[in-house]
Amino acid sequence: MNESVLMLTLMAGIGLGTPLVFGTVGEILTERSGILNLGVQGMMIFGAVMGFWATFVTGNLWLGVLASLVAGAAMSLIHAFNSVTLRVSQIVSGLALTIFGTGVAVYIGKAGSDPLIGQPSKAVFEPILPEALSDIPIIGPLIFGHDAIIYLSWAMVAAASYYLFRTRPGLTLRAVGEDPASAEAAGINVSRVRYVHVMVGGALAGLGGAYFSLALVPSWQDNPIGQAGWISIALVILASWRPWRALWVAYIFGIAGRLNFTFQTLEINVPATLLNMLPFLLAIIAMIVLTSGKRARFLGAPAALGIPYFREER
Amino acid sequence: MSRRFIVEPRGLASWWLKLVIPIGSVLAAMVLGAAFLALTGNDWIEVYQKMADAAFGSGRGVAETLVSATPLILTGVAAAVAFKMLVWNIGGEGQLIFGAIMAAGVGIWLSESTPAVIAVVVVVAAGAVGGAFWASLSAVPKVYLGTNEIITTLMLNFIALNLMQYLVLGSSSPWRDPEATQFPQGRPIIENARIPEFFHRLDWGLFVAIGVAVAAWFVISKTRSGFEYRIVGNSFDTARYAGIRVPRKVLGTFLASGAAAGLAGSILVAGILGKMDPRSLDLGLGFTGIIVAALARLNPIAIIPVAVLMGALNNAGPSLQSIGVPDATVQILQGAILIFAVAGEFLILNRIRRPDPTAGEAKATAEAQTA
Repeated sequence: MNESVLMLTLMAGIGLGTPLVFGTVGEILTERSGILNLGVQGMMIFGAVMGFWATFVTGNLWLGVLASLVAGAAMSLIHAFNSVTLRVSQIVSGLALTIFGTGVAVYIGKAGSDPLIGQPSKAVFEPILPEALSDIPIIGPLIFGHDAIIYLSWAMVAAASYYLFRTRPGLTLRAVGEDPASAEAAGINVSRVRYVHVMVGGALAGLGGAYFSLALVPSWQDNPIGQAGWISIALVILASWRPWRALWVAYIFGIAGRLNFTFQTLEINVPATLLNMLPFLLAIIAMIVLTSGKRARFLGAPAALGIPYFREER
Repeated sequence: MSRRFIVEPRGLASWWLKLVIPIGSVLAAMVLGAAFLALTGNDWIEVYQKMADAAFGSGRGVAETLVSATPLILTGVAAAVAFKMLVWNIGGEGQLIFGAIMAAGVGIWLSESTPAVIAVVVVVAAGAVGGAFWASLSAVPKVYLGTNEIITTLMLNFIALNLMQYLVLGSSSPWRDPEATQFPQGRPIIENARIPEFFHRLDWGLFVAIGVAVAAWFVISKTRSGFEYRIVGNSFDTARYAGIRVPRKVLGTFLASGAAAGLAGSILVAGILGKMDPRSLDLGLGFTGIIVAALARLNPIAIIPVAVLMGALNNAGPSLQSIGVPDATVQILQGAILIFAVAGEFLILNRIRRPDPTAGEAKATAEAQTA
């Protein structure tokens, strides 16, 4: 393989993997609290449209980022209310979020006399470090050639991992996801922990969506995010609920997403549709091989995942 | 410790509550939709009138509404029979698509001279077999290895979708029409395998769908097997003590659920489409079926009118573009209906009441006495 093709593939793979990093780590934090949110796709696409809109109106990228975080968190609040306060089916509520979020995003994109659809973004995320650094062969671009959001995603992964495994609130979070009744007995407010982490997950998914509309494909289309939300849910399993692993698997799938293009330039004929199956196929195989029976605990799935917690009424 | 409200599980909800909550969900979603339309500068009354007119305003409109409702009845039944037994089959989408792949495959392979009755039955049945097979990919690992079916069914949706696109758009498989050179299309199935139409584009597939819904209701509520099924749905442990073979029951339900979704695919292929058309089969019919099942509260008979309502919404979408309103309005309404329906389940399962003041006093007196 030609070296420049390899570099292009790796760089594009990191770009395409970045929304997946946000979506996956967000869902990891949500699921660690014991709540399954299948609405990642809906929160992501809603974040994408609101981030795009805010940047479109103000010309400021960081206001777009802020809008996408708020939008994702707001959408996830519906799920938190349904699954924590009302304790109804998390599965159906998550799917509802996806359908609703997609509808709202597509609607906003088309509404009004001068709709967003087809418009290019007013500003685009671009590499921030001096170009001289990128001239270092191979590691130059791979480490220094990225935009601010990618560096932010690395910091976020490091912070999430530290938080989860090295801090008191992280321990609390894991306790709530493993055994809410014992956590409650130890004086932890289970509902609050769950609300917070569902919303953090929503905010990160929203930001992941905005990375599509403000960096990868800086314009508005009906669905700029493809199936990234669903892929994120699959990656949570492949990452076995750990943030650093999420970063690596997201990049692997980012690169896999770019392979279509790479194969075309190398004139290797592999149908795109078959490559698109890959993340889903691998997730299923991982699921069957790694999570069946007793091995599930070893892998790290939170024991109380998806189970509504009924506090004993006194 | 005083509280303003007490929430407690309700035993059996009254029938009117079970009727009021779903209707209320639809109304609440319509209010939310109206607010959304008004905020974005649209006349919501005009929009709703336009939708009602497109869905029910003419014979043709009614026919199209029922055409849209047909697959939704089946994907709704698929979701309902599984969810009732706590089998979270959210793979209706993939099972529908694989059903369509099987049906189209058989419909293309059959000889042109196959008698119509046999051809239709074989093609439609192939879809059910295909759906059950696709469900088995999740069901077998669930039953024998304990693999969580939520994720596997979900992932299999996208695998089926990409497989269908590969067969028609990405390869020169038998499913692709060799004569369509401009833009890839599905190869038409034999004429004799097409389900006859009887009212505009509406075909007899509607009655197959209704028949499946009624049969599901009958089996669940009127037979011994259905009684066991309901026990398993309430508690795996109780069922085990009662000597019911739970794994077999779960497997059977899962496969039946997949078969229903697969039927939706084959009825589309043998009915209105006449071929495997990747665009017409990628409309989220499996997910909409989950909305149908939730709003019908998993009751197979109630699924029929609810599917007609959702079919009406789907059918009305395109008409909105003529008045400059995005057709995504329909998706907003459907998503909102599902959000309200799932939240409303709380009111059916629980009772909210004021605390009984005398109970508090009695306790205080008791405590005073022990002190």
